Order: sequence, then structure tokens, then C-alpha cells
Amino acid sequence: MLIYTLFAGILFGLYFSLVGLGLNLVFGVMRIVNLAHGDFLMLGAYLAFWLYTLSEVNPVAVIPLAFVLFVLIGLPLYYILVPRLLAAKDPEMLSIILFFGLSQVIEAVAGIVFGRSERSIPGGELGRALAGFVNLFPGANMESGPVEILGQTFPAAWVVAGIASLLAVLCVYLYLYRTRLGALTRAVMADREEALSTGIDTHRVSAIAFAIGIALAAIGGVFAPFMLGSITPAMGVEATVTSFAVIVIGSLGNPLGTVLGGIIYGVSYMLMQSYLSSWANLLPYLLLIAILLVRPSGLLGRQVRLA
Amino acid sequence: MSPEKAPLLTVNNLVKRFGGFRALDGLTLSIAPGEVLGLVGPNGSGKTTCINVISGLYPADGGEVLFEGKDISGTKSHHLVHLGINRTFQVPKPFLALTTRENIEVAIAYGNHPQGLTDAQPLLDSLNLTKIADRRAAELNSAQQKMLDLARALATGPRLLLVDELAAGLNPGELEWVGGKLKELARTNMAIIVVEHLMGFIEQVTDRVIVLNAGKEIFEGKLTEAVRVPQVIEVFLGGAHAA
Repeated sequence: MLIYTLFAGILFGLYFSLVGLGLNLVFGVMRIVNLAHGDFLMLGAYLAFWLYTLSEVNPVAVIPLAFVLFVLIGLPLYYILVPRLLAAKDPEMLSIILFFGLSQVIEAVAGIVFGRSERSIPGGELGRALAGFVNLFPGANMESGPVEILGQTFPAAWVVAGIASLLAVLCVYLYLYRTRLGALTRAVMADREEALSTGIDTHRVSAIAFAIGIALAAIGGVFAPFMLGSITPAMGVEATVTSFAVIVIGSLGNPLGTVLGGIIYGVSYMLMQSYLSSWANLLPYLLLIAILLVRPSGLLGRQVRLA
Repeated sequence: MSPEKAPLLTVNNLVKRFGGFRALDGLTLSIAPGEVLGLVGPNGSGKTTCINVISGLYPADGGEVLFEGKDISGTKSHHLVHLGINRTFQVPKPFLALTTRENIEVAIAYGNHPQGLTDAQPLLDSLNLTKIADRRAAELNSAQQKMLDLARALATGPRLLLVDELAAGLNPGELEWVGGKLKELARTNMAIIVVEHLMGFIEQVTDRVIVLNAGKEIFEGKLTEAVRVPQVIEVFLGGAHAA
């Protein structure tokens, strides 16, 4: 039981890393809090749901589409909202208010367009995608059912979501540390004014990071019907709170710290589900309070520089 | 301003407001290539605000900023860097995780240095940073960070350099050395605006000064002449001393 719980916790943790990754990237680069992050996750979930319902598109195939679509949404959205925010006296506080408003608008419109009832996608779809991929290799013969790891059986959807999340984290790492754009992004994260003074177009760099952050949320949303059970237009708020807990644990402004935060959150979540299930929904709030009291800069954190 | 040279930068009737407070209230100034201009005045007189507006960190609320005769008001900071305007900060803000050398290399890479500077070493040598070239910026003391900040600005090849309180916190030997370095840069035809509280340093490096009070110019000329102007004395020392 304990081994199962821990391993499932790691799979969920990887998924929660993906859920929080975009929020942390946006905070790290722009020092603004995107409270609509969970709503973009919800929109990604509905994209996967409707494509599956209308055309039986496998959710795995929706991932690149979701990425491109939400990058294209994120770029203009950045230029409409963020430069004005950053020019304000207190961008962090103003961003909380503005994105809270945006969150409410997205949720209300989604409720009108999609309806308020819970939706889901059959769990076997991700298993079919996993089996299809594995069977591409010569000699492989995998059935599209639960996956056995270390003698424990896990839903294929959890494994696929865990692997996809790990790949997304790896891509963000490569973007940040192996590309010229990533170097510029890290320069802006380190100090916006210093970056400007070295000739870096901080708005262009930030717009790309913002769009990637939103696209990562949407990709997290593609897996939401499998990891969170069902989707509704109101799920965004809870997803944002979870994301916030994950990045505060890992450390605000350090996108790769999100992985540590996600895994701690995921393992704690599964332990609570297994041994104290009625208290499990309190977990993000309890972890947030505990981290803010004990180590406000997060486990991997350094002080956010304000000078 | 040297009469034989056309101004590199001209600021006309510049206004900057913070809420109801007019930090710059119709300021006009100009500077020619190779000239060192000092901006002096009490705290809150608008010196740093002037630099922040010229360098594009703050948008102006009125007036115009001309660089080589072209209006650059509203131009973004990174474009101004590419045009040949750069600055240092009162509180240096190097990339703390990078070494001294890497900080300069970032500025070389993205600053579009017109002379095609490709190597940080000449700047490291010129500003006595070679010994600390491989130390992380976070490990440098305040004076070293200021020199790194100056090196970062120079790495982008500015023709107009805005220097904001570079001398604060330096010892007398360092002050003299930095002053000499700024004059050396001016001899390469670089225009330099220096904001400073240390009058000895201002006297050492500047060709002329503009004294500001409440965002307005109250004197322009040599510092040695400024100290004989009652309005300047009143601003710095209070009304009783001006009598």
C-alpha cells in the first residue's frame, strides 16, 4: 500500500509540476500573478474533451494543438494586458486583481458555452495511446490496460500524464538553459532593468514566456479529465490554488523548483487520499500555510530581489 | 556646451509627474560629444528622474528628447541602448548568478556594440576587473559592482553615458581613478552626464554643471561659479546662508 501510494504520488507530483510550471514561469519573468492560470488549464481540458467527443481525437494528439493554439492566444493577450500592468506602481497587486477578473470572465463564458455539468473522457484513451506508442517498437506487445510498475498496477492515464509532464519539464529546461531565447528569459528573470540596459527587448521575451506559460497550463488541462476525474468550468479556481501551492513549495520564480514542489505535493496528496481521504482537499491550503510560515522563499528559494 | 560642436542630446522643456508631484518641471539641457555635464541639486530635485527619462525607464509627460536631432521620446530602453545611450544605476543591478566576465559578455552580445566589441577582456583590463573576472557578481563588494555596472554600460558602446551616483561609497583613491577614467572616456568623444552629490568629484570630472531644484534649472555654468550664486547657496544650505 505504501509503495503504491508513494509511486502514485510521484506520478501525480509530476503532473502537478506541469500544472504549476507555467504559473511559475510567468511569475519568474514578469513578477505578476496570473490568477487565471487554472482557467487556461480548464480551457485546455475542454479542448481535449470536445475534440474527443466530436471527432474522437486522442487526447495525446491534442497536446501539440493545445500548445500552438494557446501560444497564439497568449501572445496578443500579453500585449493587451501586461505592459500596462508592468508600468503600474505595484504590478504584483494589480495583476492579482486584473487576472482574478479575467478568471471570473473566462469561467462565466465557459459556463455559458460549455454548460455547468461535469464532463470526462474515458480513461482507456490514454492507455490506447501508450500501447500504440510502445507497440511501434519491434517485438513489443502491450495491451491498452493498466500498467504494472514494481509489482504495482497503475492506470495507464496516470503513467502517460506523468511521462508527458516530465517531457514538458525537460522542454522548459532546454528552452531556459540551452537556447538563446532562454538565456534572454533568464536575464529578464534576474533583473528586468538590467536586461533592458544590456539591450534586451524585455517585452518580446516576456510575451513569449507568458504565452508558453499559458500553453503549459492548457497542456495540463488536456490531462485533467484523467487526473482530476472530471472537468467543469469552475475547476479553474482550484487548479490555480493547487498551482500556487506547488510553486510556493518549490519556490516562486524558479520554474524548475516547481518539480520539487509538485512531487512533494503529489506524494502528500496521495498519502492523504490513502490514509486521511476526507482531509485531502485541505492539503493545498495546509501546505501553503506551512511553507509560508517555515520557509517563505520556498524549499529551493532565494529572496525575490526588489532593489 | 562647446560652441564648435553640435549637441548630441537636447532635452527641451521636459516634464515628468508622479501623481501631483512634478519631478521635472520644464527642464531644458543639451550636451555635445566629448563633454562631461554634471547634474547637481538636493535630494528630490529631479537629477535621477532626468536620467531615468532620457534612458527610457520612465515615459516623459511633456517636452521632447532629441538624440542627434531625432526625437527619441517614448523610445524603449533597449532601443536606446542600440542607438548608443546607456546608463549606470545608483544601486548596481548585475546578474548576480553570472560572473563578472559573463555579465559583460551578455551586454556585448545584446548591446550591438558599434565598434564590434567581441571580447570582454579589454573592458576587464580597462576597469581593473581582471582579478575578479571569474567571480560571481553576487560575491563582489559595492565598489566592484559599481565598476561592473560601468563596464556593462560601456560594453554596449554608448555615445552618451548617463552616470548615476557612481562615486558614492568609493574611497578617495578610487574616486580619483574613476574620475580620470570618465575624463578619458570623454576624450574619445563620448558625451557623459554625471549625477552626483560629491562636489569634489563633480569639480574633478565635469566641464559644466546644471543645478536643479524642484525639477527646474536654477544655474548653468562652472561649479566654481555656482557656489557664488545666492539661489544655489539657498537651495543647498538654506536661506540664512544666502544672505
